[in-house]
Amino acid sequence: MDKDNAIEVRNISKSFKVYYDKGNELKEKMLFWKRNKYEKRVVLDDISFSVKKGEAVGLVGKNGCGKSTTLKLLTKIIYPDKGTIEMSGRVSSLLELGAGFHPDMSGRENIYTNASIFGLTKKEIDARLNDIIEFSELGTFIDNPVRTYSSGMYMRLAFSVAINVDADILLIDEILAVGDANFQAKCFNKLREIKAQGTTIVIVSHALEQIEEICERSIWVRDGHIQQIGEPKEIHKAYLTAMEEERREQAANERKQLLEAEEEQAKRLAWEKRHGSWEVKIGDVKLVDKNGVESSKIYTGESMTLEIPYVVNTPINDIEVKLDFYRIDSLLVYRTSSVLSGVGRLNFDKDNKLSITFDNVPFVTSEYYVNIALETKDGDEVDVYKEAVKFIVESAKGEGGVASMNNSWK
Amino acid sequence: MKIIKELYEYREMIFSLVRKDLRGRYKGSVLGFFWTFLNPFLQLMVFTLVFSIIMPQDIDQYYLFLFVALVPWMFFASSVQDGSTSILRETNMVKKIFFPREVLPIATVTSGFVNMLLVFLVIFVTLIFSGRGIKLSTIVYLPIVMIVQYILCLGIALIVASVTVYFRDLQYILGILVMALQYMTPVMYDMSRVQDAAEKMGWPQMVTLYNLNPMTPIITIYRNILYYQTVPHINTLIEALVIGIVFIVIGELLFKKLQKGFAEQF
Repeated sequence: MDKDNAIEVRNISKSFKVYYDKGNELKEKMLFWKRNKYEKRVVLDDISFSVKKGEAVGLVGKNGCGKSTTLKLLTKIIYPDKGTIEMSGRVSSLLELGAGFHPDMSGRENIYTNASIFGLTKKEIDARLNDIIEFSELGTFIDNPVRTYSSGMYMRLAFSVAINVDADILLIDEILAVGDANFQAKCFNKLREIKAQGTTIVIVSHALEQIEEICERSIWVRDGHIQQIGEPKEIHKAYLTAMEEERREQAANERKQLLEAEEEQAKRLAWEKRHGSWEVKIGDVKLVDKNGVESSKIYTGESMTLEIPYVVNTPINDIEVKLDFYRIDSLLVYRTSSVLSGVGRLNFDKDNKLSITFDNVPFVTSEYYVNIALETKDGDEVDVYKEAVKFIVESAKGEGGVASMNNSWK
Repeated sequence: MKIIKELYEYREMIFSLVRKDLRGRYKGSVLGFFWTFLNPFLQLMVFTLVFSIIMPQDIDQYYLFLFVALVPWMFFASSVQDGSTSILRETNMVKKIFFPREVLPIATVTSGFVNMLLVFLVIFVTLIFSGRGIKLSTIVYLPIVMIVQYILCLGIALIVASVTVYFRDLQYILGILVMALQYMTPVMYDMSRVQDAAEKMGWPQMVTLYNLNPMTPIITIYRNILYYQTVPHINTLIEALVIGIVFIVIGELLFKKLQKGFAEQF
């Protein structure tokens, strides 16, 4: 290890097991042994860097890129799968504030507990006690139980302990967001002071300006690799540009997906409207009124004829022609078919047209449409044509409801 | 050896965890810390009542005979059972902060140890009032056997604490195991009973089996010192020490290996 270096990280890799559905119990393990499969997720892949003594370095990168894992590895909370980490001097990490705080004990007692967790001896804590209390701005509250503190007071006390642990190497994870603006500024100044004393600092943060202000270098971690190391301002510019690009790409992707979904939907609707195996295909369906004239308006009680021309691609026999009459609000008003009306199944051998006459149309004033379907005996759909024809019925007498009935009065 | 230096640096953490545990134990109760003494005292009263009136034993002052062995046994039992969950109980700290993980089982065992020391005050008072008194020539061995037991308990705690993180059922298994072991240790009876039984059954290996139990020599020594007030056999003392050292070495080696994965198990 270079004697100018405080931290040397060489070729470390780390992966976590991500269980799809982890069951710890024997019952679960036996019943669902297949579910205990896991995926090995590589969080860090062959990372190397070194930090000089007295230098401050920032780790930047988007969520989940591996920067916090790096810090945890430096702290020795977890251990790398491969590679080595060397550090010289006492390490203090500010990953968790207020560790070991006991709510029933006073602030003063908790300072001892908390500071001891950072590896301070009683003598060392005694020497720092006044600094810690003063820094926390708790004043006389220091002798009250911690459970009576507001969350701001709690965090201030915790931070004061952490920041007053004199370490050779200080590791900080996203914690400069404690208390109000004044206290934050105070923390930041304290950090600068610590740095001026020659402490090596590694910060993980999304607050890039803070890193720029205090760090000589930034390390940009991207998907478990080190993307770039260098002057914070430059690195952050590149990082932000890349983030922006990613965001734009993501937005474009989302837009594309949306369009695809819409297209899919349109296709589905079109299929629903018209599909079949096309041995026979229905042409333009016409509605003819009692005078034999093509019309889209029929009067209640009059007759009408549906003319259904068709093209035969492959001759096919035993076809049932089904007709569904719907009112415009999707109410099925009448259903019939060649079989139901007694004609039976039809054979289609060459192009022709079907004429179906309905006497005495009983519908009253509204709009209607007809769905036509040609089906084989097995129910295979040869041609399904929804809304093949639309027409209006008007009741000259102004009757209402669904159907007209003959009625005589006495 | 590096670990000893590191643990020495973290001694204040051990002290403060022990302090927190001892003070927190009876927190919120009216009598507070006084319960530490009241609890064993009341227990002793019950024993006296039961074993002199309802179930008289042919052993003289049976309640004392039992009590001087039961107190060290309870320290052992709490070391094993609380020790097994010592890491699990502090997942937050283990996940977020660096400190030598050994601190947690050490603090748990030490807290049990200090508790036992306090209960020994009750034992001393009882010894004096019961007329047995305290003999200086034997009592000097008491600190030695206590330290030997501490080493053994810590060794076992290191093992069960690290294994329980990976195999959580162990904490419940240990509950039963410790209870069974109590009956297989000369706590409620004397070793001479075991020898008699072995002879009667014609199975001398039973005594050997008893001696394999690491707590057998320790309990025997406690009783020698406090009840019979005789100087313990030096061989028994050495045997206990060797067992303790074996456990603590195995414990630390295993713990050191397993602790690397602790933070990823929660």
